Amino acid sequence: MKLWTKLLALLAVFVLVVAACGGDDDDAADTTAAEGGGDTTEAPAGGDDELIVGVSWNNYNEERWAKSDEPAIKAALEAGGATYISTDAGSSAEQQLADVEQLISQGADALIILAQDGTAILPAVQSALEQGVPVIAYDRLIEDPGALYITFDNVEVGRMQARVIFDLVPEGNYVFIKGNQADANADFLRGGQQEILQEAVDSGAIVNVGESYTDNWDPAVAQTNMEQFLTQNNNEVDAVVASNDGMAGGVVEALRAQGLAGIVPVSGQDGDAAALNRVALGEQAVSVWKDARELGKAAGEAAVALASGSALGDVSGVVIFDSPGGNSMTSILLAPIPITQDNLNVVLEAGWIDEATLCQNVPAGSVAGCP
Amino acid sequence: MTTETRTPLVQMRDIRVAFGGVHAVDGVSVDLFPGEVVALVGGNGAGKTTLIKTLSGAHKADSGEIYINGARAAIDTPRDAKKYAIETIYQTLALAENIDAPSNMFLGRELMTRWGTLDDTAMEDAARTVMGRLNPKFQNFKVPVASLSGGQRQSVAIARAVHFNAKILIMDEPTAALGPAETAQVSELIQQLKAEGIGIFLISHDIHDVFDLADRISVMLQGKLVGTVNKNDVTMDDVLAMIIVGKLPGEVTQAELDELH
Amino acid sequence: MEVTDASTTPEGSTEEPEERSFGSLLRATEIDTRLLGMLAALLVIWVSFHIWSGGTFLTPRNLWNLSVQTSAVAIMATGMVLVIVSRNIDLSVGSMLAVIGMAMALLQAEILPDWLGFDHPLTWVIALLAGIALGAALGAFQGFIVAYVGVPSFIVTLGGLLVWRGVAWAMASGRTIAPMDSTFQLLGGGSRGNIGALWSWVIGIVACAGIIVLLVSGRRQRIKFGFKLRPLWAEIMLGVIGCGVVLGAIGYLNRYFLPEQVARQRLEAAGETVPPEGVEIAFGLANPVLIAIGVALVVTFIATRIRFGRYVFAIGGNPEAAELGGIKTKLTIVKTFALMGILVAIGAAVQVARLNAAVSGLGQLTELYVIAAAVIGGTSLAGGVGTIPGAVLGALVMQSLQSGMVLVGVDAPLQDIAVGVVLVLAVAIDSFYRRRSA
Repeated sequence: MKLWTKLLALLAVFVLVVAACGGDDDDAADTTAAEGGGDTTEAPAGGDDELIVGVSWNNYNEERWAKSDEPAIKAALEAGGATYISTDAGSSAEQQLADVEQLISQGADALIILAQDGTAILPAVQSALEQGVPVIAYDRLIEDPGALYITFDNVEVGRMQARVIFDLVPEGNYVFIKGNQADANADFLRGGQQEILQEAVDSGAIVNVGESYTDNWDPAVAQTNMEQFLTQNNNEVDAVVASNDGMAGGVVEALRAQGLAGIVPVSGQDGDAAALNRVALGEQAVSVWKDARELGKAAGEAAVALASGSALGDVSGVVIFDSPGGNSMTSILLAPIPITQDNLNVVLEAGWIDEATLCQNVPAGSVAGCP
Repeated sequence: MTTETRTPLVQMRDIRVAFGGVHAVDGVSVDLFPGEVVALVGGNGAGKTTLIKTLSGAHKADSGEIYINGARAAIDTPRDAKKYAIETIYQTLALAENIDAPSNMFLGRELMTRWGTLDDTAMEDAARTVMGRLNPKFQNFKVPVASLSGGQRQSVAIARAVHFNAKILIMDEPTAALGPAETAQVSELIQQLKAEGIGIFLISHDIHDVFDLADRISVMLQGKLVGTVNKNDVTMDDVLAMIIVGKLPGEVTQAELDELH
Repeated sequence: MEVTDASTTPEGSTEEPEERSFGSLLRATEIDTRLLGMLAALLVIWVSFHIWSGGTFLTPRNLWNLSVQTSAVAIMATGMVLVIVSRNIDLSVGSMLAVIGMAMALLQAEILPDWLGFDHPLTWVIALLAGIALGAALGAFQGFIVAYVGVPSFIVTLGGLLVWRGVAWAMASGRTIAPMDSTFQLLGGGSRGNIGALWSWVIGIVACAGIIVLLVSGRRQRIKFGFKLRPLWAEIMLGVIGCGVVLGAIGYLNRYFLPEQVARQRLEAAGETVPPEGVEIAFGLANPVLIAIGVALVVTFIATRIRFGRYVFAIGGNPEAAELGGIKTKLTIVKTFALMGILVAIGAAVQVARLNAAVSGLGQLTELYVIAAAVIGGTSLAGGVGTIPGAVLGALVMQSLQSGMVLVGVDAPLQDIAVGVVLVLAVAIDSFYRRRSA
């Protein structure tokens, strides 16, 4: 093996790796330094009288944060007259500790933290609180009662899924396609679903004829499991409560093979484009949508209030949430929106999806929201 | 060294091979005539196997030339060596343990059907023919060679070399794994091949074998050629002295000879 | 080159006296006993699940499901056998599946429609061929680093596992790409992606004829060279059993009929009247199953009947001997990985078509199932030993366990435990058997 060929191969690997990372750096570059982690991009603009809010992203290299959350936070801060500064920890819990310190030293009056690790971040959070800088745990729990926890209510997502399905099928055979067994959210969702259906299950109106966790929320696994449930019940399945949109897609394909797509209602969540299209087509009953912009807006507004000296309990909309770690967290739990055929206009008007994607293959005039 | 005037089958001239800073073969020249057995002897690490690998294409020489039938030959790979009808029986036998004897014999040179597929039946047939000559008792043509005895595996390695009509045969310790009866068989084979005009390089530790089989003996020590002698001109003691002391007969002192015993 | 333990001809077994027993009966037919053992194990699993599920497992419908669910892993496992036989491993197949699946999905759902419009008749061919080309390229690239740069395949493909997964995400920023081209979807089975009863019978009869031709030509060849023949009764028995199994399986699977409403829709679409008592239209073999069978036959041919396959086994048995035999070992390794890539592409096509969507998480853990299928099927991780039919059976054993457990209501964590135990057990029994027969 000659040296140049080795170099060529190494170069090729390098190019591939860079190319793999490249796609998202474009979005990230204007607001957050993609490399190096802890660098801040925007220096605090104002003097001591202007409010500064620091945001610590755990890993900016995910589409959602740049597309939905950050603009919403920025807009809310702007409206409140505060300045936005940010850091990106690049998925490193250690880096995030340093990031938080840096944001404080840059004069942040309040912090919004999307924690890489809700436990590892605790020292930085405690140090911030001791210095009088309020902390918002954004989307992911930080087990410190001094922080304000803002997230979507996952148990409520489960309730919404079950409610829509239960309204359509008040009695009959139900199949439950749950998420990954290692993910606490899978059980939160299932718990919410059970709350709604418990009574009907007890009365015998609803029969649970199949229930399974799904490795990695993998749609292909969900499809296989659904095929087996249909086989075991000789197609006598009246409704499927699937915990997210990807798995709902697998379920719908299994139903389609039996000519049952569009006949047996299926739930989901996330507002995936493909799932919203299925909702428009009538193949999926509901996709519960968590509008990340609502989350960003709430966090931005709460940050401005806290930075202005408001106490945790005085922020509007707070409730007390008993965390798995045994803390009573002051929290803002946002309600997600169940998207069905009746309110497709919500996702269109929010600009979440364009009409062509939403309405692909939908017969004209069959659904409100599609031409 | 030699008085013959015919063109040698093989001439290796000033071959050098170094591994890192160590000169495994350091300027060695040997030659081989048709129908002749030249034994390469020397202690462990003397460089015999490395020298012979430059001829079989398993290892490229750093410098030096090889002539086959008087013409300069370029041998960089085992494939090149086979083009010059050089066949090698390696000390390790170089058999793929997981496949059967015919597949091993034809490895890299498979017989194909007219459809471009492997012709296993033809290969088995050819293997049976060669084996009928070498080791008539051998019948295990369809089992992986891993399940064969040492002698049977040796037969497979030898059969591979013989089948392809070698002009030049390299045998690296061909009898190391064999019992007395099988060793006798190999000796017989070597005589037979000699008679057919094949030139043989024989590497061996066994000085008795060497004296039984070889026509000439080349002795190596620490990568260098001590010298090449005609078997009939020397005694075993002379050769042992060359191997151990590195001196030709006549150069060696009586004191040194005494030390050998 | 398959390594069979039962193929010693009687005249060759000079070292052991011939036994008069079931064993000698088997030896006369020259059937691979390990494969028979696996079939027996599979039968035990099937019957157990049938009883446990209250008579559902062995219904035509469930076996049909099983055949479709096994296809993608079986397709890839055939390639993994060759990779492992050559003393390498490919941990990247799951991630490569995601990249190739995503590429094929993007091509047919977003790129080609701009040029050809939706559901153009050429779309599926272009997408499939592009996917296969991409698979060959990715595989060859990894093989090149393994063979020519000299990085161990474990490391190269572990890197691939991470890199390709990231690339798959970046290709669509984590979006789900759906729906697929309507012709492409047929590759995945479903109610349309199958060949019906008649063609299934045709395939069965062709397969039966193939078995007989192979037996006869093999016997002729041995007569031509004057080799020892199998007893005639053994040849006939093999033919009868082979044909019986093939035709019986097809007859049984053909008892799985389209759901009532689908059958009605299909008849109405064809303009025929639906009889009041209903109709029975058989699914017949599903396309992905046909693809898997085709792939298994082709890869078996590659492994046993052409030079490349023999070289792969020789390299696995003794790389040095292969090199000294004049084999271009490095190039052979590159080809092996390229073949693996092509098979991943075919598996990806089946998977994406079946799901009618591509997601960046596609194929997670698939590498482990593919490797496990090969290993359960008798492929030795030390290299040099393995068979294609074994790997297909291995895939079937694993999918039987998983599908069966869903059927009887065992949840995912316990399924994982069971599959893990079976994997270790299968290899333990196999190595015990090997030691005894050595």
